[in-house]
Amino acid sequence: MTSEHDDDLPMDPAESLRLIERERAEAERKLTPDPRVFLWPWGFAWLISFTLLFLRFGPGGRVFVDMPDWVPLAVLAATMITAGAFTGVVGARSGRWISGPSSRQGAFYGITWSVAFFGLSTVLGRVSQFVPDGEVNLLWAGAMVALTGALHMAGGAIYNDKNVFLLGVFISAINVIGVFAGPGWHALLLAVLGGGGMLAAGAYAKSRLPKAQKAEAQNAEAETAEARNAGAGNAEAGNQ
Amino acid sequence: MSQTELPELDPVIHAQARLRVVSSLSMLREGDRIAFPRLQEILRMTAGNLSVHLRKLEDAGYVEVTKTHQGRTPATLVQLTRRGRLAFEDYTAALKALLNPSEEP
Repeated sequence: MTSEHDDDLPMDPAESLRLIERERAEAERKLTPDPRVFLWPWGFAWLISFTLLFLRFGPGGRVFVDMPDWVPLAVLAATMITAGAFTGVVGARSGRWISGPSSRQGAFYGITWSVAFFGLSTVLGRVSQFVPDGEVNLLWAGAMVALTGALHMAGGAIYNDKNVFLLGVFISAINVIGVFAGPGWHALLLAVLGGGGMLAAGAYAKSRLPKAQKAEAQNAEAETAEARNAGAGNAEAGNQ
Repeated sequence: MSQTELPELDPVIHAQARLRVVSSLSMLREGDRIAFPRLQEILRMTAGNLSVHLRKLEDAGYVEVTKTHQGRTPATLVQLTRRGRLAFEDYTAALKALLNPSEEP
């Protein structure tokens, strides 16, 4: 192949600047995990479980769908744990190629979520027995969502990401409004605006990432040429 | 601006492949290191080709290559040094100056 030789050919300034921008965009695209992976599991978890809560424990004690009263809370716990485990694993996997301040930051933030939820669950589990039946769901859901909102805001602060911070503010706001409105309304708000909001936030964040480059086509040529040398390359990679 | 000005540009990164390597590494936060196979995947280069260019950049003090272990698996981590980051910024500034000579102070 000739690219080894071509690689060393200087280019004109404009071409070099375009190359720099292209490579940086490509690196950002490949290094940034798909934001939907972190937001959609929670979006679906909230949409499903708070809808069930609303249907079973509607405003003013109305029952829209007569299912056993443990079903919505069990689904809430199951979907939350699933979403937490999924985002935790994906987060850890996406960070495993980078080591240094960023991966430490990601690990600390991930641990913070787990510890915070464990701590809160412990407290709520202890005091739930003293809370009137009608308010127990609101206590759990309201406290969990307040914590989620605060952790998103903290995430926005840590990663200097305005959109994550605003998502946290939004979650915190609808939670407080829902708690004041009372059981039933709280679940409805969180299902529609909370769950729906996270799904929308994920789609929006995804749309703002750099798109796959048109330059891929150009690079594909170099790639096929390089692929012929891949045998030698793989041998070396094996030694890494 | 004539082509004769071009030699002012840093010869170490004024080669397409090494410019690509440095551009990609510049997206990492200072102090972060990236695993060799991941860098290879981003750059779509063969391991052999990438190694050659990394060595040249390492010789210039622009990148630091660390052999380490992640668990029991040996890993090669690559990082842009402070000097490399500065060289990249100077290089980009020089390119812009070449394109817009009037904007130069």
